[in-house]
This record gives sequence, C-alpha cells and structure tokens, in this order.
Amino acid sequence: MTPGTLPRLHIAALCALAFQAPAGALELSLIGEPIQVHGFASQGFIKTTDNNYLAESKRGSFEFTEVGLNFTKALTDKLRLGVQLFARRLGPLDGFDAKFDWFYLDYHWADWLGVRAGRVKLPFGLYNDINDIDSARVPILLPQSIYPTSNRDFLLAQTGGEIYGRVSLSLAGALEYRAYAGTIFLPSTTPPNSPYQLGKLNAPYVVGGRILWETPLEGLRVGGSLQALRLDADFFFNQSIYGPLQMAGGLPPDFTGKVSAKIPAILWVGSAEYSAGALLLAAEYSRWYVQVTSSQPILFPNISTMVSERFYGMLTYRVKQWLYPGLYYAGYYTNVGNRSGRDNMQHDVAATLRFDINEYWLLKLEGHFMHGTAALDSSLNDGRRLSDLATNWGVLLVKTTAYF
Amino acid sequence: MKPVRAIQAFALLLAPTALSLAALAQPRPGLPAFRVIVHPSNPVASVDRKFLADAFFKKTTRWSHDEVIRPVDQRSDSAARNRFSEEVLRRSVDAVRNYWQQIIFTGRDVPPPELDSDEEVVKYVLKHHGALGYVSGGANLNGAKVVTVQ
Repeated sequence: MTPGTLPRLHIAALCALAFQAPAGALELSLIGEPIQVHGFASQGFIKTTDNNYLAESKRGSFEFTEVGLNFTKALTDKLRLGVQLFARRLGPLDGFDAKFDWFYLDYHWADWLGVRAGRVKLPFGLYNDINDIDSARVPILLPQSIYPTSNRDFLLAQTGGEIYGRVSLSLAGALEYRAYAGTIFLPSTTPPNSPYQLGKLNAPYVVGGRILWETPLEGLRVGGSLQALRLDADFFFNQSIYGPLQMAGGLPPDFTGKVSAKIPAILWVGSAEYSAGALLLAAEYSRWYVQVTSSQPILFPNISTMVSERFYGMLTYRVKQWLYPGLYYAGYYTNVGNRSGRDNMQHDVAATLRFDINEYWLLKLEGHFMHGTAALDSSLNDGRRLSDLATNWGVLLVKTTAYF
Repeated sequence: MKPVRAIQAFALLLAPTALSLAALAQPRPGLPAFRVIVHPSNPVASVDRKFLADAFFKKTTRWSHDEVIRPVDQRSDSAARNRFSEEVLRRSVDAVRNYWQQIIFTGRDVPPPELDSDEEVVKYVLKHHGALGYVSGGANLNGAKVVTVQ
C-alpha cells in the first residue's frame, strides 16, 4: 500500500454516497460555512485496431473507470481545507484502490499570495491538473504526448507546499503564478514481463512552477511551466540474468543482483490558449530531459541525457449547448537525436464529440489515428519490442460521466 | 430499436437541456436585462466590467475597501444569468460551468452560491456586507444598492 492509499473501499458505497445529491453541489451544514461536496463517476470503453494501449484494448476493454468525491470547507475567509478521494481502473495501471487524490490546507493571504500545504495537484502546462476530470474538457484523452495517462502517478500531484497568486498588470493583463516543492509517493509496482523486480522507488524532490500571462486580448493566455525531479530506484535481477555476466567477468564476484539507479529529469512546456465565445484553441510544446546513472550499467544502462519532444495543437467548438466537437494533433519523439523508426515516434490525430445530455451527465465518442508506437508499453503487448508492433493503428473510445 | 423510437429516446435524454433553453425569456421592454447590486453600506458606486468578471471567477477576492467579495449567482436557466454571463463574464453559462469544474475538482475553490430567484439574491446581498449579485431589471431591490458597470 502506498502513502495516500486507503484500504480498499467498496466502490459501490462511494458511488452511492456520491449520487445522493440530486443536483449541484451537496452541502453538509455543520458549523459555520457548509462543507461543499462534489463528485463524479465515469465508465469508458477502449478498443484498438492493433496494439494494446492503456488496457487489453485489442479485444475491447471496459477497464476504464473513475470515481472521485471531494469535500471542501472554508474555515475562515482566508483559510480553506479540502480533500478528494479518487479510485480508478485503467487496464493494469490502477486496481481501483481509493486514494487521497489531493488534500490541502490553503491560506489565501491576498490575491497575489497564497500558500497551500498537503498533497497538491501539479501545475504543468495548461491541463495537467484536470487530466482526470472528464467533465472539465472535451477530449476523453488529453494529448498524450504531454499529458500521458500512464504517468499519472508521477505527474498529477506532489506532497509538499505551494505558493500561488495572481498579480494584476493593469492594462497589460494579469500574471498568475504557482511554485511548489515536495515529493511524490510512488507505487513500486513491477511491470509484467520485466527482467527485474522493482524494490524501492523514491522521489527525493520535485520542484517547479508555472507562470501564465492573461494578455490584454481577453481569452488569450500564454505561459510556461518548469519541473525538476529525481527518482531513486532499486532493481533486483534474477541470478539467471546476471549469472552469465558475472561468470564472464562483467560484474563483480560479490554482486547479488541489486542495481541502484538515479534518474533526474527536467521537464518544461510552453503553452498558449485562446478562448472566444464557443471556440477554444490551444497549443503546447514541451521537452523532457532525462538522465540515468546506474550502479551496474551492464544490467541497467546509463543514459547521458535523452531529450524527448512533445507537442500538440487542439481546437474545440461549442456547436450547440449540448454538442462540443474537438480535434487535435499531437506528436511525440522519444529522442530528438533520432526521429526515425516507429518506436521513436508517435503521431496522434484525434476527433471527439462531447454530448452534454444534461447539466450532470455527459457522453463522449472519440477516435484516434496513430502512427508510431513510442507511447506503447511492451508489457501490455506480450513483451514484444515496440519496433515489432503495428505502425499504423486506430483507437476508439466511448466514455460517459456523471458529475455534480 | 426503430430509428423513430431511438430519436424519441434521445429527445427525452435531452429534455432538461431543451427546458433550460425554453426558460431564456427576454427582459421586458424598457428595462435592463440585469442590474448589479451590493450591500447598501458598500461605498462603491460603479465597477469596471473586468473587475466584476474577476470577482465572479474569484480571481479578485476583495473590494477596494478590503471587504471580502461574496459573489452570488442565479440558476443557470435564468434569463438574468445568461445575459450577465454573456455581457460581463464574456462566456456562455456552459463555459462558466466548465471553468468551475476545473476549479472544483483541482481543489482550488468552489463557485459562488446559485440562488433560485431575484428575491433570494436580494436577501443574500442585504445579509452580507461584501456581497455582489445581479438581479433582473424589474426586480424589487428592497434597499439593495445598484452599482453601474463601466
């Protein structure tokens, strides 16, 4: 059990509690201001023409479920606390354990300065902190090049502190900033078909920030985000793997299979968004710098610095009060030094239809055409190398979400 | 299921949306679509539209005299709410709701309370010194102070 994980809660009970509220927020009046209660529950279906993606998708998978329930209470005009319980099943990634998704104590000293402490969502790019909030966006999957669902544990929230604020620039608009420092508690789950067992997995630090400029052109905001973190991991290899290398002199005689690695990473993203009336346009460009230093490079190779490139452009438009089509193109190169080969890139053209059935219920249909396999997971594809998987493939997603 | 029945079933699902649209009544001739009101003790006589929008999005949380701003909204199907959203917030009611979905589920804040009628908004404004609300043009203000929007 990882920190932030509850003993398995009965999900049906969570859903039942969430949907006792007939409309809008549920308010529990105790002392002073009422506690605001909001929640959502989603069920999705994913099917791919080739390659398993996020789940056992080639045969079609309903392992795409999310439930969240949050409570917010204003203690004074400046002090607020909140907590969100969240459970998800997405293929082998999450097992439907209810977790504290975020929890915080927020002191809003002034509009230009506030402080949050606890487990706080990471402000990275425009949409990282709504990555799991289906009702707050048009696409089912945000552009996965910058917001990879499979990296949710690494990228969604950190435990520590954050300062935030918004500074008016008068005629020049306003600047909104957030800066944070803390750590990430990660589940040390060994992927299936791995040649090793994952031991400890720690993030000694995660620091970063985001600054967004609300320009004088109403609806246009541009900004940048920067994040630095380090992962420390221990891997335990089986003797059948390291034994022959040891016999050949490639490993010290006293080696017992444990390899330690330090993986520092720096991520940045530049963002621009324009919304006017029913139209929303967004574009982001990002580079992630990852290094690996291993105690036994022969088993777990060192990487000097690998730079991946990620970008997308997205358009959504409200045609009717109940209908939002959306379209995006996203690109991903694992290594800017090598842009060739299906396993080094993934291009994604996605089209979505979002139907708002009523104020508390929506349905989405989404199709993707994918070219490349870089964002796929070998362990979901019978251990096959990414270079052996189908280059061109399609994804169909259907998802419905109820929320209040 | 035959196509006609499928369309009927789909229409039933959409009924709440259709009802909301039907409720968008036009204001009476000669009256403004909405009036912005504050507590009678509030020294402010006029507000900038951008300030008003920032206050309703809770990006600005204090009056110039340091009182906490307490914005209060109306139901999403009210005519005043729709006009206020389009003219002051410069977003549709749906876009505003999406904005609050982002804020709520990231734990940053909660939206202003949504009250059912002009009378309830006036009561709220008279009860809270920092309150900021809007009512339809013909509403009985009962002593609440009207501020002009620049």
